Amino acid sequence: MSTVSTTGIITVSNECKACDHCTFICPTGAISGKLGEKHHIELKKCINCGQCLINCPFGAIEDYSMVNEVKAALADPKKFVVVQEAPAVRVALGEEFGLAPGTNVKNKMYAALRKLGFDKVYDTEFTADLTIMEEGTELIHRVFNALGVEGFENSGPLPQFTSCCPAWIKYAEDKYPHVLPHISSAKSPQQMFGPVAKTYLPEKLNINPADITVVSVMPCTAKKYECDRPEFMSSGFKDVDYVVTTRELAQMIKDAGIDFLNLSDEKADKLIGLSTGAATIFGATGGVMEAALRTAYELLSGQTLDKVDFKAVRGLAPVREATVEIPVKALGKALPVNVCIVTGLKHVDTVIEDVLAGRSNYHFIEVMNCPGGCINGGGQPIRRDTY
Amino acid sequence: MSEISGKVLKHDTQTRSMHWVHLIGFLILALTGIAFYWDLIGISNIFGGPANASLVHRWAGVIFTAGPTIYILLNFERFAKFIDTISHFTKDDFAWLKTMGGYIPFIKVDKAPPQDKYNAGQKILGGLIIVGCLLVILTGFPMWLWRHTLPAAFLAMCYNIHFWTAIIMILLICGHFFLAAIHPKSRIEFASMMLDGYVDAEITSHHNEKWFNALQKVE
Repeated sequence: MSTVSTTGIITVSNECKACDHCTFICPTGAISGKLGEKHHIELKKCINCGQCLINCPFGAIEDYSMVNEVKAALADPKKFVVVQEAPAVRVALGEEFGLAPGTNVKNKMYAALRKLGFDKVYDTEFTADLTIMEEGTELIHRVFNALGVEGFENSGPLPQFTSCCPAWIKYAEDKYPHVLPHISSAKSPQQMFGPVAKTYLPEKLNINPADITVVSVMPCTAKKYECDRPEFMSSGFKDVDYVVTTRELAQMIKDAGIDFLNLSDEKADKLIGLSTGAATIFGATGGVMEAALRTAYELLSGQTLDKVDFKAVRGLAPVREATVEIPVKALGKALPVNVCIVTGLKHVDTVIEDVLAGRSNYHFIEVMNCPGGCINGGGQPIRRDTY
Repeated sequence: MSEISGKVLKHDTQTRSMHWVHLIGFLILALTGIAFYWDLIGISNIFGGPANASLVHRWAGVIFTAGPTIYILLNFERFAKFIDTISHFTKDDFAWLKTMGGYIPFIKVDKAPPQDKYNAGQKILGGLIIVGCLLVILTGFPMWLWRHTLPAAFLAMCYNIHFWTAIIMILLICGHFFLAAIHPKSRIEFASMMLDGYVDAEITSHHNEKWFNALQKVE
């Protein structure tokens, strides 16, 4: 665990054995070094995804840690510390305590966070629902704009890309700036939570917003970079103060001597702790797409879905596509919505180039950097024995 | 005075050549391997830096693999006989091992039990070196050629096996070098592998009595 403030989130330590495995793992070619010489991460190219970290055979790659700052905030009686946890954290945290991968320990996690001293334990799933409402609505506006429906002229172009993966956003900004108008303007669930916690919460709980510290528990190292982006100060304060990964939370629980497995089940705090099933599936590839389709379907058709599953978008293939017929009440006909899901940025270039060249027939494209989605994020437990 | 005189050919030209190739390859591999495992930049710089040391290590590995492979293909019968010899342990071998053939200063031995072309210690060394070579070769090439596509856990396992096997082999070779080149009782055979291939017949009649007797029978 690196506690030294570095210029980047991900760094190669002196323990590097120069095996060169990471150069192939890195989706952006940010790691340089020949076999036999210590490797180096080029910060301009690095998207902070941490895939190199979780795949390093020697554990020689580290991420910048904010754990000490979180502990200091928890120990400060003046601070009102609230915490949010991403959907993928709850199904991976248990692995650090010997449970099978995929075991949902959501309720024990809430209990552990309270024992650690967080004043309110909320859930990122609340803002994942907000994200999908935003993205789904934005997609509809873009579709209407493309169909020439009056009143939607200022909506962005099609296809629309998802915006919740910070590694993907940095990649697009660095390599494909022309694709940015296609990316949804919705913030990620983490960054929606920040302003909600620093504006809505003080009002409802009668707290000074300056005293609130927002901590995120994320499966992702790029979220540490995201929370430090200068534009995320929409509450007037830094929207999300600190991010800890699933691994770091597990270590904090162990350091505090909490018997995690024997904790009683607890629930998240109300106000911004509730969510739908659509938010839960955000953590897996195709999850954002499926959630958006559910929203778009209901909004466009005016009907409630009998079966909420869109199984065509599920799977683990790096690039998947599907066509979903959605009845549009306003137009009196069904529209075929062409969607594409990309998992792993190594596979996104062709999709983007088709979009920029006008060859793409997709309406909505989900992009997640980590293979399989956030459940395989750079901040998740490292289990070598599962190979 | 002994009635036995003259010399006996113990190792022919191809065997000696293979041994030299393997020895030089091993020394380069050990030196470069130690250099980049422990980050000893002084040693790496002899080869032009860590990346070049690694390059030299890999190609020395190719020679280390190719040398014995070619030798075995060209001398299969001889190699099969060698394997047969080192894999057969008789009562005499176990008796030899009990006293370590008299090489250990504090174990007094009047007469060591009769031995084959290779004594029991050499048989064990031969077996360990063959197994060690197979392990470093079978882990080394994946570490080089498939480093990008192998799972991290498998790659880490290859590194561990490669490292520990190499360490054991270096220690074995140090022992082998001591007995072959320094120990006064055994260094008399040094030239047989390193130079002309011949050993003194009289000494061989004691050290490798069974083999010597078998040779006499053939003649």
